[in-house]
Parts: sequence; C-alpha cells; structure tokens
Amino acid sequence: MASYKIWILGIVLILSIISIAPWSAFESGVMIQSVEKNSTEFEKGLRSGMIITEINSNKIVNLEEFSAYVSKLISNETESTKISITTDSGNFVFIKELPLSITVGNIPPTRLKTGLDLSGGARALIKPENISLDDSQISDLVAITTERFNVYGLKDISIRPVKDLGGENYLLIEIAGATPSDMEDLISNQGKFEGKVGNITVFSGGKNDIPHVERSGQQAGIDGCYANQGSGEYCTFRFGITLSEEAAKRHADITSNLSISMENPEYLSEKLNLYLDDNLIDSLFISKDLKGRITTQISIQGSGSGNDRAAAIKDAEASMKKLQTILITGSLPYKLKIVKLDTISPVLGKEFINNLLKLGLIVFGIISLVLFIRYRKIKLTLAVILTMFSEVLITLGIAALIKWNLDAPSIAGIIAGMGTGVNDQIVIIDESESKKSSTLKQKIKNAFFIIIGAFFTIFAAMLPLFWAGAGLLRGFALTTLICVTVGILITRPAFAEILRKIKE
Amino acid sequence: MGQQINILEQQTSRKNWFDKSYKLLMILPILLTILAVVYVGFFYYSHNHEIILKDVSLSGGTMITITADSNTINFEEFKIALEQKSALRGVDISLRKLADIGTGKMLSIIVESSSKSEELKADIESVLGYSLTNDNSSIEFSEPSLGKNFFNQLMVALLVAFILMSMVIFIMFRTFIPSIAVIFAAFSDIIVPLAIVDFFGIKISAAGIAAFLMLIGYSVDTDILLTTRALDPKKTREGNLNQRIFGAFKTGTLMTSTALLAVLPAFFIVTGLPDSFRQIFLILGLGLFADLVFTWMANAGIIKWYCEKKGIQ
Repeated sequence: MASYKIWILGIVLILSIISIAPWSAFESGVMIQSVEKNSTEFEKGLRSGMIITEINSNKIVNLEEFSAYVSKLISNETESTKISITTDSGNFVFIKELPLSITVGNIPPTRLKTGLDLSGGARALIKPENISLDDSQISDLVAITTERFNVYGLKDISIRPVKDLGGENYLLIEIAGATPSDMEDLISNQGKFEGKVGNITVFSGGKNDIPHVERSGQQAGIDGCYANQGSGEYCTFRFGITLSEEAAKRHADITSNLSISMENPEYLSEKLNLYLDDNLIDSLFISKDLKGRITTQISIQGSGSGNDRAAAIKDAEASMKKLQTILITGSLPYKLKIVKLDTISPVLGKEFINNLLKLGLIVFGIISLVLFIRYRKIKLTLAVILTMFSEVLITLGIAALIKWNLDAPSIAGIIAGMGTGVNDQIVIIDESESKKSSTLKQKIKNAFFIIIGAFFTIFAAMLPLFWAGAGLLRGFALTTLICVTVGILITRPAFAEILRKIKE
Repeated sequence: MGQQINILEQQTSRKNWFDKSYKLLMILPILLTILAVVYVGFFYYSHNHEIILKDVSLSGGTMITITADSNTINFEEFKIALEQKSALRGVDISLRKLADIGTGKMLSIIVESSSKSEELKADIESVLGYSLTNDNSSIEFSEPSLGKNFFNQLMVALLVAFILMSMVIFIMFRTFIPSIAVIFAAFSDIIVPLAIVDFFGIKISAAGIAAFLMLIGYSVDTDILLTTRALDPKKTREGNLNQRIFGAFKTGTLMTSTALLAVLPAFFIVTGLPDSFRQIFLILGLGLFADLVFTWMANAGIIKWYCEKKGIQ
C-alpha cells in the first residue's frame, strides 16, 4: 500500500539523472559559450548555451572540426558570406563578414557545473575603498566590470554582488579556466583616463568624450620594436580614438591659446598629457597645424618592453588592450580594492576530481563492509548503500538544476550529508529490530522522532553559514542542507518502506 | 539456548557494572572539558587574544601551492632559501609539503606568508629559477582586513548556530536537565577538538571553522538518540533503563564509527585533496572521537542519574 514512497524515490532519481544529463558526453556538436552583443549573430537569436550541430550543411562533431571548418571559411572568403548554422534550438541564416562573433567550446560531459577548486580559474572579491555602495551603485559596478571583461575578450565569467553578515557589499568575480596575468589591473583599476593640456582636462575616458576606439585594422597595432639601452627590447603601439564634437571643441579652444614651441617649431608649446588613474602614461606633441582646429581623430601611443622581441610585443599588446578597454568602458567614480584573489590551477583541479572519486569509492567500500559485519545481511547492507547513493545522486541532480558551482566546500558538504544519511538509516534499522511487541509502524515512528531532531539541529548549525564570510562557504551549507532534506523527505521514508518489505 | 543464557548473564553483569560506575565514568569527560577550556583560555592569553592560529584566509596574506615532486624541488633546500629571503623582508613564512601517504612521494609544497602575492611569487620564482604559472601553482591571497572580518563573522555564525541548536534540543525534550546534558556534550565536542588543534599548532582556515559548525549538527544526533531512548516518554520501547541505554550505545557507536570511517580516509588514505577540504575532515574526525567520550560517558551518566531521580525505569 505505502510503496508509493519507493515510487517517489524512483521518480526523483530518474529526474535527477535527467537533470545531470550524463549522456551529454556522447552528444556531437559544440556549445556556444558567448555571443558578442550588437553582432549579427546576436540579432539573429544565437545565444550562449545553444548547441551547434551543423554549419552550411557540414556536420560539426567537436571543437576541432568547428575550428577547422571556420578557418577554412575564413581563408576562402574575403567578402561577406552566407552562413547557415543549425542548432538544437533551430536554424539561423545570416550574411556576415568573417570571423564569427561567437565563441564555442566542447559540450560539457554533464550539466554539473564545477567550481574553481575543480576546474581551475580565478576568484576575486573586491570592494570600493572608503565608501560603501548602495544597491544601484553596486549594479553600476557590475555593469562596468562586466563590460570591461567583455571588451577585454573574457566571456566565461560570473560577476555578482555579495553581502556579508556585517552588511558590507562586495563584488564577487569568478572566471573559469585560464586567467590573464593582468586580471588584477583589469578589475581593480578605477580607470580614470584623462587627456590634459596643462591643468585643463580636454577629455576623459568613456562614451561621452570618446564615442569610438579603434581596436584592430590599420588604425591600431604595434608600430615598431627597438633595442633597449642595456638589455631587452621595447615596442611601441598606437591606436586611434574618435573624440566627440564637444571634446574636440574643448581641444580647439585650449590649443587656440597656445603658442608655437621655441625648441620644436613644428609643434605647440604645451603637450597633450594622458593620465591613467593620475599616473602620466603618455605625452603627445600637438602639431602646430592643429592649433585652434576642431579635430575628432586622435592617435594614442604607448609602449611595452620585454627580455626579447616576442615578450616586448606581447607586453605592448597587453598594454594596448588594457588601455582600449578602459577608454571604452570609462571610469568608476571610486577606487576599488581587491580584498581576496585566488587563482587555482586547472591541473590541481583535475587531480582533485580524481582523488575525490577515489575517496568516494573507498568510503562506500568501508561503510558497506562495516554495515555487513554488523548486521550480517546482504539485503540490508545493499539497501543502506543504495539509499546513500541515491541521496548523492539526487543532491547532484538538484545542484545541476539550480546551476550550482560545485567547489571543494560543496563537495565536503555532500560527504557530510552522506554521513548523516547513513547514521539515520542505522537508527531506523536498530529501532525496527527492537524486540518489543509494538508494531513496526510504531518503531519507525520512534526512529523518525530521532531523525527529525537530528535534521533540525543540522539545519540550525548550517543556516548562519549562508551569510557569514561573504557567502564563500555557502556551498558547504547548501549541499549539506540539500542532502539532509532529500534524506528526510524522500530517501528516509523510502528506506523505511524497503526495510518493511525486507522484513516481510 | 546455552548461548542465550550466557548473553543474559553478560548483560546482567554489565548492568551492575554501569549502575556502580556511571558516576565515576563522568569524571573523565568533565575533566577533559575543563582541561580543554583552561587550555584554550591559556592559549587565548598567550596568543594575543586569539583562540586559534589562523591561516592566511583568516589572518590575511598569501598561500601558494606549488605542484612539484622531489625530482624538481629539493624541499629542504627550497625551504632554507625561501626562509632566508623572507627574513630579509621581515615577513612570516611557513612551508609544508604534501606527500602521498602510500608511497611517501612529494606531491606539492604549500607556502604561506603574510606578504602580498606578487612579493611571495617573486621570491619563490627567484629561488626556483622558473616562473609560477597557472599550470604549476595556485595562489590564494586575502587582505588582512577581510580575513579579520571573515573570522569575526564565522564566530558569530558559530554562536548563532549553537544557540539555534540549543533551542531545537529544548523544544524536542522540553525538560531541563536532559537538554542541558545534550548541550554540554555538544559544547565539549567543539572545545576539545579546538584545544587539540591549538595544541598541535594547526593553522585553521575559514573552511575549518565551517567544520566546527558542522560538528554542532553532527555530534548531537547520538545524544538525541540516547536521550530519546532513555527517557522513552511514550513507553514504546522494551527493556529497563540500562538496557535502553545499552541499546542506544550499540546503535550510536556504530553511527559514530561509520561517520569516522567516512571521514578518516580523506585524511589518511587519499592525499592530494585541497587543504581546506582535508581540514574539514580532520576537525570532524576529532569531534567524532570526542563525541564517543562525551555521549557515552558524560551524557549517558547524566541521563541515567536524571532517570533514577525521576524514577524512570
């Protein structure tokens, strides 16, 4: 009669497996990781998460095939070309000049998301210096930071505000996989960019004064490389920016008051100084022809250095990219401070997953052995182990469903939850084995009094962790609570039922 | 048949033994708790008003984990060279190596320092003679102010969790002495492991404090089991008080031992897990050991005493 409890467990288990979707490993295609905003692809409706299976009727099985086909397209076509992309959410056809404005990756083997400790990556916790932000300021900060990362070319990131117990606001940034070495600059720079003649600001970074920044093509790139005095080399870069009418007029007004330089008769007496966060980064001579003229095109220059030419080029390119990013996104109205910065090696992460699987097997093995030694009943031992396994599976299913990033604390939480699960089942078995003539139903009721008490104490213990420490340990609390809640609502009642059937 | 009589006799003699010595048994756990409280208090005054040694996630600083075996890095030489460099800067530094327990093979080196990440990274790179990259190292940095903030909040969380747990216990049992007995056991389950990690000079991370929180939840389930079976308010259980306590003991020790067996491999068999992860299991392990003592020597004694006074058979 009451075997519906077992049915519920079965159904939830199936749903969990669907949620985790372990068969993704066998699917062919590539998954879109990001689509550039304002691109043709975006307008046509391509979105991250879609799975591309065909391009121009060519089957795409994996990332290698995708890259090979796209580079073949690029080398064949110089003009705009018609592209037809087949995805799991439909067919998209558009005409476009290559390259494509999307990034793709292999389809992840399951829908489980792994956190930093497992997949490697970087995590930064930042907060503004000396002020605390209200909600709207925080959302502005999220927007600017997100744009900076996008402009910089990093897409697979999560940026969200977090609040701790003390009411302090932080911004939590998580980047999966490899991370750029200058990430620290990218997020902590206030990015106050100013072009000044003397003490007067002609323009500052952001869309108001600088509506356009050249990022590639003839107007942007490395100019040349030269040997340093001493050792190494340095390279110069240059890119064009377009000033707004207003800024250009300011420039004209200011230069009209300048005289022609005595030492350098080709140029004006003052230079255009560029400051980033109040540090002088470049000083440009102003050609005498520009005196009083409204000009909207300005070329920004800078340099990078290194031990050899390749390193110098890399450094110059990185500096250029950073400067462009800041000019495009504008500055933040306050200084930021990185209060926590962790970069976890993907190699260590992989090792962690292997060790975890090993640990899981050992723990399952030991517990089965102990239970078998104690009860000497194969069926009983199997029932406990299967229930334990179900709890883990359902917890993972829920984690996949809510797109929770499984980090080390989350996994520790699952293991802790498993421990509680086994304990509860031991209580159920022992209560039911007691010899008093009362019914099995009463015995199980007795067991549930203990189990529910234990559940509430764990609940009480884990609850404060949701808020303490900017929520960095939330994973631990969350998975433990999911695991014990699944236990009390689904697996424990089912286990009691299975036990009754075994006894009959 | 003969065997059954034998078990019965055994149980009778055990009964007598427990009747005689349960008060005596309570002395050890009570002494242990007092010792732990005194030691933690002493530690607090001798360590600049800190109840634990904090790692960099709580005190601020940098932790760098370098993956390397002993063919790449000679640990002793590396340690001496790096300590010299840090001494020049006037910063604290500590090094540990993680080795595979089975083979003894070095897996990684963990360097903790109060300095900023770029400084420590530069020092390590100059000693090693190669660059630390995303492939061979992990770097974790925390500002001192943030660490302090985290620590204070986790302490508040610990306190709140303890109070909430106590409330749950009072609501469950609705009697003063048995509830207090459970809460005393939970307190001891936390303070004793705390004294032990303090004694061995283990630096505690934020995750380690989460483990103390978990102990609150983990340790009381056997106490709830014991109290429920001993009090047996609805008279649904068989046997007299001693038999019920002994039944609870059999169930409870199995529970704690399976939990211990689940927790210990993370510490002794499978190495190469993140440090924060191993620390959670170390603290849970210590707490579970403490729980065996405090549930079955202290709490069982108190509940037996209480039941005798109240005439619960």
